[in-house]
Amino acid sequence: MESLFVRYRNLLVLLVLLVAQIVGLATQVRRTDSGRMGFDPGDGSGVRLLRLWANAVVSPPERAVEGSKTGMAGFWQNYFDLRNVRKQNKDLQDTIDRLRLEQAALLEDARQGQRLQGLMNFQQKYIYSTVAAQVIGSSGSDQSRVFYLDKGKDAGLAVDMAVITADGIVGKIRDVFPHSSQVLAINDQSSGAGVILETNRIRGILRGNAEGEAQIVGILADQRIQPGEKVLTAGGDQIFPRGLPVGVVEKVVRDPDRDAFIDIIIKPAAHIDRLDEVLVITATQPRFSNQQQQDISTSENLKGAEAAEALEKKKAAEIMAERLPGLIDPNLPADQQPLHETSNPSPVIRPPLPLHPDRFTPGAAAGSPDSGVAPSESTPETPAPTKPRSTESGSGKAPSSASATGKPHGTGTGDTTSSSTSKAKPATPRPQTTKPQTSTPQRNQ
Amino acid sequence: MPLLTANTRRDLEVHRYPAPVYLLVPVAALVLQALLPRFMGRYAWFDLPLVVTVYFALGRRSPIQGTFMGAILGLFEDALTHHAIGINGIAKTIAGYLAASVGIRIDVQNNAIRLLLNFALSLLCSGIYVFIYRVLLGMELDYNWLNELFRALGNSAVALILFPLLDRCQVRD
Repeated sequence: MESLFVRYRNLLVLLVLLVAQIVGLATQVRRTDSGRMGFDPGDGSGVRLLRLWANAVVSPPERAVEGSKTGMAGFWQNYFDLRNVRKQNKDLQDTIDRLRLEQAALLEDARQGQRLQGLMNFQQKYIYSTVAAQVIGSSGSDQSRVFYLDKGKDAGLAVDMAVITADGIVGKIRDVFPHSSQVLAINDQSSGAGVILETNRIRGILRGNAEGEAQIVGILADQRIQPGEKVLTAGGDQIFPRGLPVGVVEKVVRDPDRDAFIDIIIKPAAHIDRLDEVLVITATQPRFSNQQQQDISTSENLKGAEAAEALEKKKAAEIMAERLPGLIDPNLPADQQPLHETSNPSPVIRPPLPLHPDRFTPGAAAGSPDSGVAPSESTPETPAPTKPRSTESGSGKAPSSASATGKPHGTGTGDTTSSSTSKAKPATPRPQTTKPQTSTPQRNQ
Repeated sequence: MPLLTANTRRDLEVHRYPAPVYLLVPVAALVLQALLPRFMGRYAWFDLPLVVTVYFALGRRSPIQGTFMGAILGLFEDALTHHAIGINGIAKTIAGYLAASVGIRIDVQNNAIRLLLNFALSLLCSGIYVFIYRVLLGMELDYNWLNELFRALGNSAVALILFPLLDRCQVRD
């Protein structure tokens, strides 16, 4: 018996180890409600201990490597990259100012949305607080798209917290250790996030495939989806807040298992394969955080200041307009004001000229009936304004053309804008011409 | 074929290493395996713990040691993933046992043998992984055999570089 053990001890050791691991595997797998097999989400104590050991072995060197890399990068930036800091700072300040104004402009929409959501008993969750963390390692396996952060339970991280970057969502925390945590990326086969297409509002579930691509599964094949369309989080999974960018549609492929469905391959907005720093959303609330409220009030103040500045500018323009000598001369009668057609508040109303003047016509006595009437030359009450004429001739537009189009004289140009047209007084008859008086009513009719 | 068999005393000797090497090299393999994919992205076609398992199994020529080395490294590799612990453990246990068993019979200093052995054992590990996942556990797993082929080639290339480096750590009599 002893010789049998000695003779086959290699094989026996192999069998013992294999059986032990198979039994261990069996304890970690259970049948789900849908009848499929799946991993037990809650690790047993033995499994948890092994994960803790592995993390304790791997994390310190990873942290050291990441720390040295960050240190080298900081050295480089501090000593060699300072030249552009001043310009960058100015650019960033400009960007902040611009974003503040945009934020203030969008604030009203957000408040309206909140009011409507309140009416519908739906509460939008806002990102309340985040923790910045550094990516220090990965699982090292294609079949397991997880990575490790340098912050853990000590920094307030917990399971199922969303992990994002400024570009978009990255994943969710799957396991938390004392000083590190494990994040399940959105391109893992076992991940799941509720997403929605921005324009056509098609909802789906985001998960990874064998190639490490993120894809939306279970979409009916009759949907029309264009590449380049933006994908956002839907907010229904209770992990990712609604409206965070996920990526853009890269292509649409047929579901290999189900003919009536398609899969939408997504190009993630965040660079999931090359992550350095991420944000962990540690709390969401149905209201803005203190910092956000502070930013909003700053933006509102800035917006108010800008509006006041614009008002001041407008007032100054009006004062300057009143004071400009060439526009309104208080010593001249109203009908002799330059640009009186547009700026004179009380134009002189002249009577229409008779079609057949006789001797009783005012000013007609001076003229000969044979030679016709030249009211502009003979009537003293209707002196021919010279300024407008000069203005018209200076503008290069013939007065007849202006009158033919029904536009008032003295507006300066024939291509008058609607605002200047509306400003012009409609009834400013001219003694020199009769056409405007006949043509204008026809046009009005 | 006789050229490939271990027929000299030098070919059959058991390689010995300083004690820290047994600890540091596997740990370094685990750390690098976790670290390098961050920089190489989806092109990280290698499995350093498997290469190290094969190396020590071939060098020590002890199936028991190879089995234990494979089991420990595989379990630790599993522990870094979010999958059940034991899938890689079983695959690398078998790989370590087979590598040590083969190492008794053939000349493990030959580069061609090292290359072929790593290639074959990498494919075997991938096959065992998929078998356990889909057949034993009955779970869904999408996999791409082309990736597994590339990984096997990558392991062979890494072995060609790494094995001579580790040979320098041997304790000479």
